[in-house]
Amino acid sequence: MLKHDHLRIAAYAIFIVTVLSLPVFFDEFWLNRASKYLVYGMLGIAISLCWGYAGILNLGQGLFFGAGAYMLGMSLKLASPTSLQQGGAGPVPDFMLWNAEPGAVTDLCCINSGSYLWLPFQSQAFGFIMAIVLPVLLAFILGSVMFRKGVSGVFISIITLALVLLVRLLVVDAQALTGGFNGLTDLGGLTFGGYEFDPYSVATYYLAAVSLILILLGTRLLVNSRAGLVMQGIRDDENRAKYLGFDAAAYQTFFFCVSAAISGFAGLLYVVTSEFVSPTFMDLAFSISMVIWAAVGGRGSLLGACIGAIVINMLGATISESEVFVESWQAIVGLFFVLVVLFMPNGMAGVVHGWCRRLTTKSSKSEIGGQLQ
Amino acid sequence: MLDTILIGLSLGSILLLVALGLSIIYGSMGVINMAHGELVMIGAYSTVLAQIHMGLSLFAAIPLAFVVCFALGLLIEKFVVRRLYGRLFDTLLATWGVAILLQQAIRLEFGLSFFGIHIAGLGPGLQSVKVPDLLSEPIFIGEFLIQPYRAFIIIISILLAVITWLLMYKTRMGQQIRAIMRNKDMAAACGINVRKVNALTFAYGAGLAGVAGVMMSGFKTVMPDMGSSLVVDGFLVVVVGGVGSLVGTIVASGLLGQVNGIFAALSNDIIARAIVFGVVIAIIIWRPQGLLNYKGR
Repeated sequence: MLKHDHLRIAAYAIFIVTVLSLPVFFDEFWLNRASKYLVYGMLGIAISLCWGYAGILNLGQGLFFGAGAYMLGMSLKLASPTSLQQGGAGPVPDFMLWNAEPGAVTDLCCINSGSYLWLPFQSQAFGFIMAIVLPVLLAFILGSVMFRKGVSGVFISIITLALVLLVRLLVVDAQALTGGFNGLTDLGGLTFGGYEFDPYSVATYYLAAVSLILILLGTRLLVNSRAGLVMQGIRDDENRAKYLGFDAAAYQTFFFCVSAAISGFAGLLYVVTSEFVSPTFMDLAFSISMVIWAAVGGRGSLLGACIGAIVINMLGATISESEVFVESWQAIVGLFFVLVVLFMPNGMAGVVHGWCRRLTTKSSKSEIGGQLQ
Repeated sequence: MLDTILIGLSLGSILLLVALGLSIIYGSMGVINMAHGELVMIGAYSTVLAQIHMGLSLFAAIPLAFVVCFALGLLIEKFVVRRLYGRLFDTLLATWGVAILLQQAIRLEFGLSFFGIHIAGLGPGLQSVKVPDLLSEPIFIGEFLIQPYRAFIIIISILLAVITWLLMYKTRMGQQIRAIMRNKDMAAACGINVRKVNALTFAYGAGLAGVAGVMMSGFKTVMPDMGSSLVVDGFLVVVVGGVGSLVGTIVASGLLGQVNGIFAALSNDIIARAIVFGVVIAIIIWRPQGLLNYKGR
C-alpha cells in the first residue's frame, strides 16, 4: 500500500542520501561547485517558506543573503594575510589603505570615518553570529512595520524590491567602508575551533551539505507544526484567520524572519565556499533569479524549490561552458520560465505531486477491488 | 535653482511616460508588466535601427516606435498575459521571463548571430542616437539656459498625458476601460468585450513605453539592459501615486523626479537614487494605497 506521506519521506531520503554521498564520486574541485549549488538550494527553501507557505513574495531576498555574506566577509577579510601585514597594530583591509587620506593612521580604529565599525569583526565568531543576527534584525524591523501597517500582497514585493536596491546603492557608495563595486575579495579562511575550512575540501562540502539537510528538515517540521498550519491558514484567508483570533502580523513577521535567517546563513556559507563578497548579491536580477528557481522547482514544496535551485544552477553552469549556449542560456531560462508559469503553476514539484497522487489513488483503488473479489 | 527644477521636471516626465503605461495596465487589468522596461528598450532600438537603416530622424521614430511596441504589446498580451488574468504574482513572474527573452533577442540579434549574420545597430554593444540640430542648440531666455532636448521631453510627455487623459475620459473606449477598472464582471455583463478592451489597453501602454524609449535614446546610451532599472522606477511611481489614478501617477512622477534632481544636485546620483527609494518605502508604509488612490475598488 502506497501512501502520499511515504512517497514524500522516500523523496527526502533519496535527496539526503544523494547529497551526503557526493564526495564518494567527485573530486574536490567539483565538490566546491556542488557546495555552491547547495547554498542556492537553501535560498530555494527560504523563498518557498516565505512565498509558498506564508504567501509573502519577497523580491529582495538578496538583501538578507548579501547582509549575511558581508558580515562574515568582513571577518574573513580581516583574517586574510594581506590585511594582517599592513604595518598597523592590527589587521587593516587593503582597500581602506587605498582610500585612506594621506597621513591617516594605519589602524582599524581611525583609518577613515566609520572604519571603527569593523573593529568587532576581528573575531570570526562575531562575524558568524552577525551574519544571521543582522538579516533577522532587518527582517524583524521591516516585517513588523509592514505587517502591522497592513501592507499586503504585491506592495510587500515592491517595498522589498526598493529596499534591496536602496541598500545596494548605499553599500556601493560607501566605497571606503565596504569596498564599493569590487566588494570584498582576497579573504581568509573560516576557522572553527582551530580547524580552517579550506573551500576545496570535503569538510567544507559537508558543512554545506549537513547545514542544508538540517535546514530542510527543520523547515519541514516548522510547516507541519501548529504555527506552520496557522500560517498557511493566514495565507489562504487572512481575514478569516484574524477573526479566529490569530495575530496574523506576528506569524507573518516570524516566518519572514526565519526566511531571512536561512538566507543570511546561506550568504555566510557562500562566502566560505567562493571566497568573495560582491554587491551583485543585492542586484535585483539575483533576487528575482531566486524566485525563478523556487517557482520552477515548485514554490509550495520545500524540497521542490530546493531541488529547483540546485538543478537550474547546475544546468546553467554546465551549459554555459559549451560555447554555443553561453549567449543563449539566458534566453532559454527566460522562455522556460514563461512556460512554467503558464502551464505548471506549481512547478516541477506540482507535476510530481500529480503523478504521485495518481499512483496512490490507483493503488488504493486496486486494493479496494482486491477486497471486493 | 531653475535649472535644477528643470532637470527634475525632465526626469519626472521620463518617469511619467514609463509609468503612464504601467499604471493603466495595472489599474485596468491587474497585470504587473515587468517587461515594460524592455518595451522602452525596444522603442530606443527602433530609433537606432530607423536611423541606421532608413535614415529617419528622432521625430519620425516616435510614431514608428509607438507602432512597433503596440504590435509587440498585442503579441505579449495574446500569448502570455491573457492566460494569467487574476493571477497577479504570476503575471509579474511571467512578464519577467518575457523581459529576459526580449533582452536576449536584441543581444543575439534575434538569434541570427548564431548563423554569422549581423544586423548593424543590434547586439550586445552600446548604441547612440543623433539628436536633431533643432534640439541640440541651447536656448537662452534672459539669463536662464534651457536645454531644448529637456524641454522637448517635457512637452512630449505633457502631450501624451493629455492624449491619454482624453482617451480615458472622453472616448467610448476609455469609458469601457474605466468600467472594467471598477468591476470587470459587471462590465462584461453590460456587453463590454473585456478581452478586446484589455488587449488594446495593454498594447496602448506598450506603445507609450516605446515613445519613452525614443525620448531616452536621445540622451542616454542605448543598450540591451537599459530597461530593467526603468521598470522598477516606473513601478515605484505607480504604487506611490495610487493604482489606476492618472493624476496620482503625474503627481508621483513629478515628486520623485524632483527629489532625485534636487538630491543629485546636492550630493551625488547614487545618494539621490537611494533617497528616492527611501521616500518610496516610507510613502508605501504610510499610505499603502498610494497618495491618490482610485476610489471604489
